Amino acid sequence: MIVYIIKRIFLMIPIILALTFVVFSIVSLTPSDAAYAILGSEYTEENGAQLRAELGLDKPFFVRYFKYIVGLAQGDMGISYINKAPVVDQLKARFPNTFKITIMSMTFSVLIGLPIGVVTATKPNSFLSRLSLVIGMMGISIPGFWLGMLMILFFAVKLGWLPSSGVDEGFRSLILPSLTLGINFLASVMRTTRSSMMETVRTDYVRTARSKGLSERKVIFDHALGNALMPTITVVGVQVGTLLGSMVLTETVFAIPGTGRLLVEAINKRDMPTVLGALVLLGVCVAVCNLVVDIIYAYIDPRIKAQYTGRT
Amino acid sequence: MEENVSKVRSFSTRREFYRQFRRKSYAQELWGRFVKNKTAVLGLAIFFVILMLAILAPLLADYNSVVIKLNVSERLQKPGAGHIFGTDELGRDIFARVIYGARNSLTISFISVAFALTLGGILGAISGYFGGVVDNGIMRVMDVFLCLPEILMALAFVAVFGTSIPNLIISAGLSFSPKFARIVRSAVLSVRGSEYLEAARSIGARDFYIIINHVIINCIGPIIVQVTLYIAHAILIISSLSFIGLGVQSPAPEWGNMLSSGREYMRDASYLVVSPGLAIFFTILSLNLLGDGLRDTLDPRLKQ
Amino acid sequence: MEEKRTAASGNLLEIENLVIQYVSNDEITHAVNGIDLQIPVGKTLGLVGETGAGKTTTALSILNLVPAPQGRILSGTVKVEGNDVLRMNEKQLQAFRGNSVAMIFQDPMTALNPIKTVGDQIAEGIAVHKNLNKAAAFEEAMSMLELVGIPSGRAREYPHQFSGGMKQRVVIAIALACNPLLLIADEPTTALDVTIQAQVLKLINELRVKYQMSMLMITHDLGIVAEVCDAVAIMYAGKIVEYGTLEDIFDHFSHPYTKGLFDSLPNIEDRRAELKPIKGLIPDPTNLPGGCSFHPRCNYCTPECTQGEPFVRQLSETHVVRCNLYRDAGRNAL
Repeated sequence: MIVYIIKRIFLMIPIILALTFVVFSIVSLTPSDAAYAILGSEYTEENGAQLRAELGLDKPFFVRYFKYIVGLAQGDMGISYINKAPVVDQLKARFPNTFKITIMSMTFSVLIGLPIGVVTATKPNSFLSRLSLVIGMMGISIPGFWLGMLMILFFAVKLGWLPSSGVDEGFRSLILPSLTLGINFLASVMRTTRSSMMETVRTDYVRTARSKGLSERKVIFDHALGNALMPTITVVGVQVGTLLGSMVLTETVFAIPGTGRLLVEAINKRDMPTVLGALVLLGVCVAVCNLVVDIIYAYIDPRIKAQYTGRT
Repeated sequence: MEENVSKVRSFSTRREFYRQFRRKSYAQELWGRFVKNKTAVLGLAIFFVILMLAILAPLLADYNSVVIKLNVSERLQKPGAGHIFGTDELGRDIFARVIYGARNSLTISFISVAFALTLGGILGAISGYFGGVVDNGIMRVMDVFLCLPEILMALAFVAVFGTSIPNLIISAGLSFSPKFARIVRSAVLSVRGSEYLEAARSIGARDFYIIINHVIINCIGPIIVQVTLYIAHAILIISSLSFIGLGVQSPAPEWGNMLSSGREYMRDASYLVVSPGLAIFFTILSLNLLGDGLRDTLDPRLKQ
Repeated sequence: MEEKRTAASGNLLEIENLVIQYVSNDEITHAVNGIDLQIPVGKTLGLVGETGAGKTTTALSILNLVPAPQGRILSGTVKVEGNDVLRMNEKQLQAFRGNSVAMIFQDPMTALNPIKTVGDQIAEGIAVHKNLNKAAAFEEAMSMLELVGIPSGRAREYPHQFSGGMKQRVVIAIALACNPLLLIADEPTTALDVTIQAQVLKLINELRVKYQMSMLMITHDLGIVAEVCDAVAIMYAGKIVEYGTLEDIFDHFSHPYTKGLFDSLPNIEDRRAELKPIKGLIPDPTNLPGGCSFHPRCNYCTPECTQGEPFVRQLSETHVVRCNLYRDAGRNAL
């Protein structure tokens, strides 16, 4: 198992390289001129040319890319055009909030969505089950940023229970944003778990388990659930990417100083190094999440592990 | 889909070929199955209403005088007679802006998905037809795009190329094409495995139509479902981007930017954010219901 | 070896008037339409019929595993050792399944849980029914593996690491782990390669003799019937059309369908003879023909066969046939 994990971590390196390459290429296509953006009103032909040479912007694409990668390995993502501060510092300051909200919303969704999905699958025609279908459908259809605003209107303005924006109140500030993101995610988890459980419960091996005289509880939790979890975990892995995308909007609605909002601000100000840095960071997060998903997968399903450790 | 194999006849004219798609019994059977799914019918009904409102918008409100004209004297009026959804902070009728917003959202979404379908379909067909290195290469690239979250992709695109409607369409289209490529590719592969390809190489047009027939039959179901779901997704992305100011710009009415500008006043005038939000919600919901229903109809499970 | 448990003498299994339907959306599938079966202690009954005749459904009903809610048991009793399985509560069923009756399923590729070791899957039933802790149960599981011809060291491996034939052996090990009184084998060799079929069949037979079990062998292969069965029941469209000892059926078959089954076997001695398949197709179980279900395909059909139930004739103490040909004739109307 350890071997598998190590191999998988090593596999991450080419993935991150590919990721940075794609993002770097897209960003370097920007028609706007960096020197102009930095110097602003002090821009002259000479200043501009000199600055460009300093920043290495006149070098060919692959040289710039290579330099970026080298810098990245050393923890240097360049300097922001706007406030002249290192990009890494800004990300460091803003990332914890993003991270906290992500973890909180995912925990909330899985802790609630998974059991509901399992229970409603075993009794597909019950009231709770039908209700969960309705809520699930609504949950995946509701736009996150609108839900956030409604939450603010209700919990902050009307009831006054929770703060409506910012991170001044520590943990309490993060509750509404996490709930907002969480509801979307929860609906996904619930639906996927339910449908994959319903399929699993109909398989031949569950029938074999029942024919052995095992208790229904053992059949569901020992035999059905393990197999049903796999599609669920896959969906969770995919949805993390969507979650991080929605993070951008949630942070805007709740005025949270996080990575998402940093990205949007940087885009508005055409601060390319920061845009690049934020995208790379978010991309790495997605890659790490996929890694975790793969490891969990391998832990549950021996066939996957066998592929990597060669023990077939 | 296997029953269609035995029903394929040879066609002497193109007309005969297209005529078979009007096999009434099969279409009627599908419709009958679809109608049984009540939530799917509900989704279809809701979406139809929204679509009609969008199409008929110019009849209901004049763009220049109602939708974008500032009318400060009437600003921030609560919903009531004269203004069903109220007026916004610049005095414009919200209902009118919502239905024109529908026009914008739906148009952009349709075009994005059409673009994605074309691009993905062609790539998938090439990939499936040629196989080997070409196939591998295209599929790897598709995989990379599939991993990137769509909103972030759109953001990156817009960051670089600027916020304009064509850019929105292109970035959404690029994000969506991998799935279409996959669907078409597997349809091509399954046809490729049969004898029809050999026949085409030796004979000519007649069998060419048979191949196209089969590829289409094999993938039309999943494609219809995916198109429906992606239109919903596109609407979400467009309104999200507009919300943060990187999509459709004011004064053009778009649900996302309406929510964004309404935010400032929402404490006292909550109706500003309710109707555009509901519009997004119901559009996406109805499309999701419809997509799910289509999926159940076109790919029914074996009778248990 | 486990000591054999003695069951009451007489019939181990008695099925009476079993009627089972499957209901989906708007269609009703008439799977089992009133059958009677008996298996005496220590004997093997072959249940013969083509796919869709209702054999598997019958087998599942003995364990009360007919999938609800689509599957509905409308009437009938299934008595094992005198206890009606269909009226047992959940607790009784759990004690009963795997313990008194066990089943070998048709498709070994899907019958095993892919994420559990084979040892665990065998040990589960043992732990429950013999009240052993995990370690002890696993030990027994390993010896069961040896019994079916798999090295016990492989107990910690997963199903995907075994071939089809070996998977089926694991399934057999699971079924026999708790020494059941009745073994139901649902086409146990159909999904296997021809070369493996004989091996697995031999194994089943040997173990059956060793454990002195009764067996219900479900198959469409008359060759297998000839090898292992004491009595035969021929099933068509959810009904038993002929029933008797091995001699009764093989030497004195009486129902046109049975005749058709035997006729459709190629005759190795007469290579120039034409194959004689039974004309027509198996009826649609949602839309069975009126009267005798076989009448559209029967060469001996008479007008009265199209309506009403066919005549049931007891041809001898052991031999029963359900066919209008025997209303008057005593024997050999074919």
